[in-house]
Amino acid sequence: MTTAHVTAAAPAPASLPARLDALAAVLGDADDPANPLGDRAVLDADERGEMLTAGEEALHAFGLNAEFVPAYLGGRLTRLDHLVDVMRAVYRRDPCLGLGYGASSFIAGVNVWTAGDDTQRRAAAALLGAGGRIAVAYHELAHGNDMTRTEFTALPAGGRLLLDGRKEVITNVRRADALVLFARTSTAPGSRSHSQLYAEKTDLAADRTAYLPRYRTTGMRGVQLGGVRFDACPLPAGSVLGAPGRGLETALRSFQITRTTLVSMSAGIVDSALETTLRHVRARRLYGRTAADLPHVRSVVTGVFSDLLAADCFATVGTRALHLLPAETAIHAQAVKFFVSQALLDAMNRLSGVLGAAFYLREGPAARFQKLLRDIQPVGFGHAARAACQVSLLPQLPLLARRAWREGHAAPSALFAPGEELPPLDFGALALSAAGRESLGTSLAAGLAAMPDGQGPAYRLLRRYGEHFVRELTRLGEDCAALDPAELSVTASPYAYDLTSRYVGVLVAASCFETWRRARHSGTPFLSDPHWAAAALYRLSTPRGAPPRTLPAPLEDALWERLSERHRTGGGYLLLPRSPHHHPVGTPGRQQ
Amino acid sequence: MDDLTGTETTRTPGLRDWLVARIAEHLRMSPADVAADVPLSTYGLDSVYALTVAADIEDRLGVTVDPTVLWDNPTVDALCRAVDEAVAGAAAR
Ligand SMILES: Cc1cc2nc3c(=O)[nH]c(=O)nc-3n(C[C@H](O)[C@H](O)[C@H](O)COP(=O)(O)OP(=O)(O)OC[C@H]3O[C@@H](n4cnc5c(N)ncnc54)[C@H](O)[C@@H]3O)c2cc1C
Repeated sequence: MTTAHVTAAAPAPASLPARLDALAAVLGDADDPANPLGDRAVLDADERGEMLTAGEEALHAFGLNAEFVPAYLGGRLTRLDHLVDVMRAVYRRDPCLGLGYGASSFIAGVNVWTAGDDTQRRAAAALLGAGGRIAVAYHELAHGNDMTRTEFTALPAGGRLLLDGRKEVITNVRRADALVLFARTSTAPGSRSHSQLYAEKTDLAADRTAYLPRYRTTGMRGVQLGGVRFDACPLPAGSVLGAPGRGLETALRSFQITRTTLVSMSAGIVDSALETTLRHVRARRLYGRTAADLPHVRSVVTGVFSDLLAADCFATVGTRALHLLPAETAIHAQAVKFFVSQALLDAMNRLSGVLGAAFYLREGPAARFQKLLRDIQPVGFGHAARAACQVSLLPQLPLLARRAWREGHAAPSALFAPGEELPPLDFGALALSAAGRESLGTSLAAGLAAMPDGQGPAYRLLRRYGEHFVRELTRLGEDCAALDPAELSVTASPYAYDLTSRYVGVLVAASCFETWRRARHSGTPFLSDPHWAAAALYRLSTPRGAPPRTLPAPLEDALWERLSERHRTGGGYLLLPRSPHHHPVGTPGRQQ
Repeated sequence: MDDLTGTETTRTPGLRDWLVARIAEHLRMSPADVAADVPLSTYGLDSVYALTVAADIEDRLGVTVDPTVLWDNPTVDALCRAVDEAVAGAAAR
């Protein structure tokens, strides 16, 4: 991306803590029934199937759209991890606002920043800056994840393009001010026949455009899902983002950013749900004690905390990789989307078990939970099915065995330093294919070899399970080198799909181990303690298909203590504790 | 032998047979059924897999080709031509 022409203009965006404070201030207290943006209001809007209007206005006042616009275009986007932090605060309060006000415009924007020319980027940035929405229309009901079958066409005719066909189940398509459309721009078969288009609504002839009725959903009920049909609707030829025919390439690049960050934003949903669960089990009295005192409850909740830390650690490494290792993230993005989405869904399901009937009630103090449980579901199928991510990883496996796993490079240690400095994001540097070169997986062996001395059960377990995953990568190398070439696309057997899960397991283990080791080196509080990392690797080593293993007592006790402390201080339940000012889920001092 | 299935010769011995064999194996087809002038996506070759063929070519021939070589040269004929040019280019350097 060329930035030279505009660098001088925009002032530097406010710091992340300042932005989080400002956002917390506009969102107000979640527990206050009089707060028009509180939980009560959020739930009422959900019952009506509407977006929370007061919430949209507040986010507008905060300037949320600026978070999606690169700083060189006048926005606040310099670091994807900061964007994720801001969006998590929104998702914690209301996932419908997260997706329906925010993330869908962000996906659209990333397409424009990746492939658009200067004029298109400026137009999209100005539109978002003024509080407008851009809908992103890839999906057609007839083809789902099978993007290359897209039927929607934008074919050249007399110096213009003519739009023909339908896009369905699209967030905000009707009320957006502009659209990013994925269209066939050539009738030839193959991978050079698609393009993204950027069209402002004012450029679309009203008599050639028809909006389809709204789609009603189980979760994300407020999100305005609709469709659009065009009949020979003319569009200026200059509406194509990038050179015509490069659409698949643009999608594969920009989705690396959006798949990684969207799933990571959704961790805010589980963060909220865990808070609700803890409040409930601490208040609920049974058999002469609180539910939180029941060993089983404590064990499930602690296991969820551990899994959430592991998932967030991997999501954070994946997000940092977009800045640090853009040649490799074609792999990481698929792995993060695949793993983190399931970890979040599993966590929600386990918490619902602990809440008992309270998770099913649409009123009362835990009413928020049932909404969060419904709202999180698209994380597993929206913006790419988990299985599609596995299939994208498959053809990399033999290459990885031949290249990366033999070469054994270690990733730079900055990859494992959550919250710390990052080099600028370069949309143009994201490689289409990692070509079997990826250094996260092999970082584990190098990290283990350099493991600092330590004592105690957590330390011993961390070493033991670290070694387990190093051996796993060796076995994978043998299995993947022997993989039948016919097993490398959608028709692959369950065995081949399973190889991708095993590989992703190694990536997660490497992320946790190396993040611990880096923190230990720099003395970062919490992260330098081996308990969380040992617990992460221990749970990850559960044989696939089996319920996750209960943590050994020393790990569970230590993590329960950390969890209780986070609950007391309002630090949240993700990898980096939030500063106590940023707890829009409620005032921690209130619970007993 | 080289070029039995094709319509043109290549500078790199065995290139065409090797490419056809790889693609046929991946698609569970007989190499004889892979026509040299038909876009490979017609046989079900998917775009993400196609990106990894470049790495196979690199490891086999020691020449660097663009990951999208098969996207831009979607038939066996076109691919052979492109790889041949890359080999010639590398030799000239
Ligand atoms: C709340 C919400 C908001 C949305 N917003 C938008 C939006 O703004 N813009 C937009 O374009 N779309 C949007 N969508 C649509 C969304 O992108 C699609 O639902 C999604 O792409 C999945 O398609 P599908 O459900 O038809 O799955 P299908 O592709 O039909 O999948 C069916 C089954 O096949 C499996 N499968 C699919 N592909 C593969 C593969 N390659 N390998 C192996 N197995 C595979 C899947 O795992 C699944 O089990 C939204 C959807 C929702 C629910």
